[in-house]
Amino acid sequence: MKIDFEVVWRIIRKNLSFFLHGVKWTCLFAFIGTFMGFLIGLVLGGVRAISIEHTDKPFVRLLKRFVILCTRFYVWVFRGTPMMVQAVFIYYLFKPVFQWNSHTAGLVVISLNTGAYMAEIIRSGIQSIDPGQMEACKSIGMSFMQSLVHVIMPQAIKNAFPSIGNEFVVNIKDTSVLNVIAITELYFQTVSIAGSNFKYIETYFITACIYLFLTTIASTFLNYIEKKLDVKRNVENMFVESH
Amino acid sequence: MDAIISVRNLKKSFTTEEVLKGISFDVHKNEKIAIIGTSGCGKSTTLRCINLLEFPTDGEILFHGENILKLKNLNQYRAKVGMVFQNFNLFNNLTVLDNCVLGQMKVLKKSREEAVEEAKKQLGKVGMLNYAGQAVTTLSGGQKQRVAIARTLCMNPEVILFDEPTSALDPEMTGEVLKVIKDLALEGMTMIIVTHEMKFAEGVADKVLFMDKGVVVEEGAPEVILENPKEERTRQFLKRFIEK
Repeated sequence: MKIDFEVVWRIIRKNLSFFLHGVKWTCLFAFIGTFMGFLIGLVLGGVRAISIEHTDKPFVRLLKRFVILCTRFYVWVFRGTPMMVQAVFIYYLFKPVFQWNSHTAGLVVISLNTGAYMAEIIRSGIQSIDPGQMEACKSIGMSFMQSLVHVIMPQAIKNAFPSIGNEFVVNIKDTSVLNVIAITELYFQTVSIAGSNFKYIETYFITACIYLFLTTIASTFLNYIEKKLDVKRNVENMFVESH
Repeated sequence: MDAIISVRNLKKSFTTEEVLKGISFDVHKNEKIAIIGTSGCGKSTTLRCINLLEFPTDGEILFHGENILKLKNLNQYRAKVGMVFQNFNLFNNLTVLDNCVLGQMKVLKKSREEAVEEAKKQLGKVGMLNYAGQAVTTLSGGQKQRVAIARTLCMNPEVILFDEPTSALDPEMTGEVLKVIKDLALEGMTMIIVTHEMKFAEGVADKVLFMDKGVVVEEGAPEVILENPKEERTRQFLKRFIEK
């Protein structure tokens, strides 16, 4: 049991461009996947916050129920199955229809998968907002949509920010499962490199270090933003106490 | 003169409990109505039914003769009936100024310039203009409630509903908020106030409603209800209140 650092250096020097290629795709997939997932989450989280009003016509009520049910189904399926399985299944299922390459399919899969988690994060963010905020919106005549966009969502996103950021960190690691549809991200590259040099320990050691580096940078950056949001909150609290 | 709002045999049940058992009263222009009563008697529910934050189980609420329970779009109606909450419910993500601007732009479709002008005018009226650029989370309770009143005034409402506007405030802040409400009353604003401040009710209201267990037990001029109530229940309530 030993890591030969000379071998490590040799592998790095020889395969640097392969590793960097993998890093590029890993970062790209993690970033786009998280971003698209966030957008999906905003819409679905908003949908799940819809309340059925007394003034709604029967048709509108039915429509609302149906839409809410659909989002539940989506979240149920995508959170309840592994992304690896989703990747293969969706890629081959829609291949005859879209004629897509695996990279496009991969982006769609990671976005949809993240979207399901984001929907739950946004929904709980919305639920954490005092119902009085929505009532105040209603009381001055704002519509549900206006209230959501201008008052509820900004607060919900701020509250849910740590969880949203966490999804990004998770995605940096989870892109690795997309190797099953031959996406040349970091893990896929590692498998190829180790497969040609047979130095499994050293090659995977390098890969682990790269993942750790990426997630550390992401976490640090997210912490920084979070603190910025929080500092404002703390100053506000101090101010309130001084009254 | 016709009433702005007529509440007719208003009933409201939550699951099994009947909270309102047939409330009726009229609100005329410039009239100030105070609703008093023990906690849980249905005062707040009555107010919340009037702007449909709660949907009545039965009865009618007429706004200039039109039954609002049959309205398809409530938003324009709600803009005309202001509401001031016990817990202020200011928009926590916005500044003092934007709290007053948002509704004007989105509901009344004003331009930002017009909305800001109106907001400044109303903030000045409640003595909060100096705080316009501040985040609302930095304000004290009394200041928050004054901003909430300004936010309501910006919508140019015909009636304002006050739901225990000072119950979450300490006595010092209560005074500053009551003064603002009193000034509005003197200007002739029509209002319904749910309150535990009997002195204030007596000084401001044209009519006092005493509610108990979901019904209006007694209504009349404040000096009659608060000094010489006919009903035993009203006397009991006021006696307990003075003892406190």
